[in-house]
Order: sequence, then structure tokens, then C-alpha cells
Amino acid sequence: MPTTSVNWAVRVWAVVRKDLTTEFRTRYAFNAVVMFAVVTLTMISLSLGLNEPSKPVLASLFWVVFFFAAMSGLAQVFVREEEAGTAPILKLSSSGSVIFFGKMLFNLLLLTILAVVIIPLFIVFFETAPANWPLFLVGLLSALIGLAGSTTIIAAIISKATVKGALFTVLSFPALMPLLVAAVEITSVSFVGGGFEEILAPLQLLVAFDVVMITLSVMLFDFVWRL
Amino acid sequence: MTAVIIMAFTMPSPMSSEFSLGPVDAYRIFYFHVPVAWVAVLAYMVAMIQSIRYLRTKDIIFDIKAVSANRLGLLFSLMAVITGSIFAKLTWGEFWNWSEIREVSIFILLVIYGAYFALRSALPDREVRATMSAVMTIIFAVSALFLIFILPRIYPAFSQHPTDSIVDEQGRLTMSPMVLVIFSLSMIAFTALFAWMYSLTVRLERFGRKVISR
Repeated sequence: MPTTSVNWAVRVWAVVRKDLTTEFRTRYAFNAVVMFAVVTLTMISLSLGLNEPSKPVLASLFWVVFFFAAMSGLAQVFVREEEAGTAPILKLSSSGSVIFFGKMLFNLLLLTILAVVIIPLFIVFFETAPANWPLFLVGLLSALIGLAGSTTIIAAIISKATVKGALFTVLSFPALMPLLVAAVEITSVSFVGGGFEEILAPLQLLVAFDVVMITLSVMLFDFVWRL
Repeated sequence: MTAVIIMAFTMPSPMSSEFSLGPVDAYRIFYFHVPVAWVAVLAYMVAMIQSIRYLRTKDIIFDIKAVSANRLGLLFSLMAVITGSIFAKLTWGEFWNWSEIREVSIFILLVIYGAYFALRSALPDREVRATMSAVMTIIFAVSALFLIFILPRIYPAFSQHPTDSIVDEQGRLTMSPMVLVIFSLSMIAFTALFAWMYSLTVRLERFGRKVISR
């Protein structure tokens, strides 16, 4: 069995690498996501002016910006395949779970880049750094895994639809609602500077959500992909 | 159904005046609001079961059934939101409050139904539409489970629904016999109403498809 699982990981990595290469050629998803984040952050910062929002408000603003920026780019992984007409070849080349995890990892990378861009900007614009960094990062990482895990299958679903962009957000929001509530809670605690025991309950929820959503997506992915 | 309506307005209010937060008569809406909300959730469960059956068999009839259940679910959740916010205005003083988990849940249910029909309208091919909406129904159901059953346990101060109206903190029934009779009658009546409307909608959908395919 070890050879097959190694083989599986190599195939997943091949999908990620292929997506990275196509992404570097156009940088479409990257540009969309980063520019969206910069534009919304600037707008919030400008309109707030000299008003100083409280830290829980900042935490929810952070996730509003993050959610919508992510929504502008995450669907690209499958939309691109449909538009270029490469989806059938991808179907021939590997099994459903390989494609799913490859696309999910690519989205996770995209989200990580987005986080790397947003966090410094956020600190500069609002002059608030998380008081408890480890807590902030733990919450962020598990939220990113959940975001990538549950939106990948939605991206595959909407790639077949006639209107893509708006529908992706509409479908993702109800599915991601528990994740967003828990993520805002954790970020808010980390901004205020609370201890680990304060985020234990939302973190459990978040990890459970990640595991359940990824399992469910893998189970359902073949129905969507092999249509 | 008629008996329920008559009894709901003629019998004494389900809430005794010393515990009541607003006008006592406002609590009569309990006989309609709770069954309507229950049917909204029931419709979603039916839709989810039919969606799973569709994915297993790929028989288009299960897709028709799932759409019909979702149509009714949209209607009933809208009614639950409206009746609920009238009650909320009279007793808690505002139409809407985001810190109340059951209001959030019913709202999410409404958003889910909206998203479901938005997705369907964007997929032209019949088989693709049926499969995609079935998959999405299952994903939404799991996500809603997290929201409805797990969030209130994490944030215990989240609910301000009258807990003492159906069950108390220990989970015992606290309704007086009369209230219990009307309430159960109403639950049965609304469930039967749903079953009847559901079979009508399924037949209507089937005729509609036949006409289109001709």
C-alpha cells in the first residue's frame, strides 16, 4: 500500500503544480483576490476616517474583507477548466479524489497568499495587531482549511452554471456560515488578547466543521465531477 | 385545521399573565408560529432525503420531489419569519435580533432556499441541474446542522425564545392540558397540510414537465 499512497500524493501535487503554472501565466485569480482585498480595505479605512472602531468590530471587518476577497478568486480553479475546455482531459488523467485535493490545495495556497497580503495592510490601516499572535494564527489556519475545503466543490458546481461569479458567493455564504461565526469569534478574542481557553469551544467547532466538510465533499465530488 | 384556528383564538392564552413579556394574547401566535417553523424544517428534511435518493438512482422523479419540498419550504420559512418577528416586536420590543440563534437559523434556512433556486435557474441542462442541486442540498443540510444544533451549545446565552412555553430547563413538558391539546392538534394539522400541498406540488411539477417535453 505505501507505494500507492505515495503515488496518490505525487498525483495530487501534479494537479497543484499544473494549476500553479497556469496561474502564473495569467495571474488572474491572484490579481482578482489581492486587488479586491486592497480596494475594500482602502474603502473601509477611508470611510472610517478618524473614527476608531472597537476590536470586535475590527475582527468582523477583517473577516468580511477576507470572505469577499476569497469569493472573487476561489471559483477560478474549475471555471478556468470549463472555459479553456480542458476539463474532459483532466477527467481522463486522474481520479476524482486526486483532482479534489489538488484543487483544494491550490485554493489553500491562494488563501494563504491572500492572508499574507491582508494582514500587514490591516495592521497598517487600522493600527491594530492581534494581541495574541499564536491564537490568531491557529484560528486563521483552521478557518482557511475550512474555506478551501468547502468551497472547492461549490466551485466545481458553479463552473457548469451560466452565471458564475455572483452565484458562487450566494451558494458559499450559507454553507460557510458556521465557519465565519467561529472564525470571527476566535479573531475577536485574539485581538482583545484573551487566553486559549476562551477560544476552545469555537476552535472545536471549526475543526469539526473542517473535517466534516472535507469528508462530505470528497464523498459528493464524483457526482459533480463525473457528470 | 378549522378547529385549531377557532380554539387558538377562543381558549385562554397559552402564557399566564405573570410571566408574559408583552400582551398576553400575543402568545396565541405560538399555535401557528411553531408548527409553521416545524414544517419549514420538515420540508428541508424531505428535500434532503429525496436528493440523496436522486443521487443513488438518478431517477428524475426524486428531483421533482426535492424541488416541490423546497418550494413549500421557502413558503413556510417565510411565514415563520413573519409570524416570528411580529411576536418578537410585541414581546421583546424589536422585529429582529441577531443574537437570537433560532431567528438566525430560520433566516439561514430562508437564504438556503433562495440559494437553491438561484442555482437551479442558472443551470439549463436538466440532468446537470438535478445533480448539482441535490449535492448542494446535502452540503447545506450539514452546514445548517452545525449552525442549529452546535452553535447554541457553544454560546449558551444565545436564545431568548420562551423556554418555559413547551419544555422547561429540565426538558419536561410544561404545557397545561388544554394548551397541549390545541398545540398537538395544530402540529398535526400543519403537517397534514404540508403533506397535502406536497403531493399537489409534485403532481403539478410532473404535469409541467410533461407539457414542456411535448
